[in-house]
Amino acid sequence: MEMFDGLKTRKFKITATAFALLIAGILLLALPVGIAEAEQKKQETEHYCLSCHGDPDLNMELADGETLSLYISPGTMESSVHSQAGIECEACHTEIKSYPHPEIEYRNKRELSRSYYLACRKCHSANYEKTLDSIHADVAEAGDMDSPVCTDCHGAHSVQALDQPRSVVSTTCGSCHEKVFDQYSDSVHGGALMDEDNQDVPLCTNCHGVHNISDPGSPQFHTSSPDLCAGCHADTELMEKYGLSSNVYDLYELSWHGVDVAVYKAMWPTIRHESAVCTDCHGIHNMLSAQDPNSMVHPDNLLNTCQKCHPDAGPNWTSAWTGHHEISFERTPYLFYVEQFYLTFSRLVLWLSIAYVGLQLLRSIVNRARRVSQ
Amino acid sequence: MNHELKVEKQQAGNGVRIEKTFDRFTLGQRWEHLLVLVSVGVLILTGLPQKYRGAEWSQQILSTPERLDSIRQVHHFAAIILLLVGLYHVGHNLYLLLKRSLPADIFPDRDDFRDAWGMIKYLLFFSREKPSYWKYNFEQKFTYWFIFITLAVMGVTGIIIWFPIPVTQLLPGAVIPASKLAHSTEAIVLTVFILIWHVYHVHLERLNLSIFNGRLSETEMRENHALEYERILKENENIPGPQEKEIEAG
Repeated sequence: MEMFDGLKTRKFKITATAFALLIAGILLLALPVGIAEAEQKKQETEHYCLSCHGDPDLNMELADGETLSLYISPGTMESSVHSQAGIECEACHTEIKSYPHPEIEYRNKRELSRSYYLACRKCHSANYEKTLDSIHADVAEAGDMDSPVCTDCHGAHSVQALDQPRSVVSTTCGSCHEKVFDQYSDSVHGGALMDEDNQDVPLCTNCHGVHNISDPGSPQFHTSSPDLCAGCHADTELMEKYGLSSNVYDLYELSWHGVDVAVYKAMWPTIRHESAVCTDCHGIHNMLSAQDPNSMVHPDNLLNTCQKCHPDAGPNWTSAWTGHHEISFERTPYLFYVEQFYLTFSRLVLWLSIAYVGLQLLRSIVNRARRVSQ
Repeated sequence: MNHELKVEKQQAGNGVRIEKTFDRFTLGQRWEHLLVLVSVGVLILTGLPQKYRGAEWSQQILSTPERLDSIRQVHHFAAIILLLVGLYHVGHNLYLLLKRSLPADIFPDRDDFRDAWGMIKYLLFFSREKPSYWKYNFEQKFTYWFIFITLAVMGVTGIIIWFPIPVTQLLPGAVIPASKLAHSTEAIVLTVFILIWHVYHVHLERLNLSIFNGRLSETEMRENHALEYERILKENENIPGPQEKEIEAG
């Protein structure tokens, strides 16, 4: 490029940009045409299969006596993301190539789901791999066949985008985790999601992960859970929107509990500790605003909450807790005075010691030098 | 106690030299200092990793949860030793003071302010001579009282954060975080003070081992406690020691 002068370089750039725009334009024009063509041309197999499977009465009996419906609602099928993207029945039903179909050997519906879902892996291998590390996989390995597979959350023929509206995610989890879902729906997070389609509050997956959901009962999860909360509650912009303080996490880390947890997090994440994390005081799925009279940290309930770990604590105990507030004269006068005192006193002692000892040292060096020179 | 004149014979080369020594600390006081030294040292060494639990160096020391527990136990054990020494020290010395068998040398008086001013003038080259001192100079009194008050604060705040639940049966809860802040900050102030001020005065300025062996030599007395030295000599004028005449080597 050094050989070209500036003008030539610019000309070249203009030409290149124009060319790129042209290509992009052609592609943009061609794209909808391509999709329209796909919609018209493809899904031939789908229509063919639905000519039988569109019959609501079509079913068969499995070995265990369960009745398996073979009906696929054409409406659901056509609105699914796969059908829209031009993916045909045989993409998943790889063994069915002709009629009559090969014999079904699954004894019951669950066995069928747990085998058929492996078809997802062909295209969604990364997410499939993640599920292998999840607690759902662990539970299945331990023998619980009800543990969910891809299709249990995403649907089989009815696969839809999971975030329209956002609450679909949480209600999906709630279809099995009913108790937790009820608590969540009443919480400050879940309430805002259900009632006003809030776009900021956490869904189940924001804290638990999506495909590689880990065991929330593990010491690691407990120890690192404040980081989950901090993901939103240390975000100044987000917290200002709701009039909340964004340094609760920083102040927690300096607190007795937080310092204790920090050591465990750094050194012994797999060992269970007794120091409180956010959820131990605020609740987990039933978390409420601290101003809510039912909140575990509302002044009326705080002593009860403390007593979960400090059973002998008396009524004065709660005022020992500074409540994620910075030291201030209004809120924590004792701490304020101690801090103010030491701000002056520590520096005074340090600098007076250094100054006095420094002068003594200087004087003794001068004395020695004088003695030598005499 | 007062400095007491003692005359010791010391073998030096071919001749025998007579050396006067001056008792400065009783055996009891020396033991007290040793216990304070060891327990405060242990308290600082076991306290710092607890204070700085968030820091990596501290987490290396705390290596296991059991280690954290045992460090805390050692801290509490040393605290009990220090508390007992402190109670003994205050009780014993109050008793001696009331019995009038302990001169009140350690208490600050007007002379100390004059001496401090004199010392500052000397250090800033406005004066050629250091002030002359009695048994304890103002630096030594300052050291004693600074550490005395600091340890009292450490003791009170330490007990508060050691037994927060019983304490809050009587006192407002706010004393707990306040004590924790005071305990953890005062500890650093004390450490800095000992490392800079005390270590300089007893090791670097001159090696003063009197707190361990209990005595000062005549030279040390003359140079550093001139007023006290003269007073003792005057007191002892009429009682000449039997060995004071020089003895030829045999």
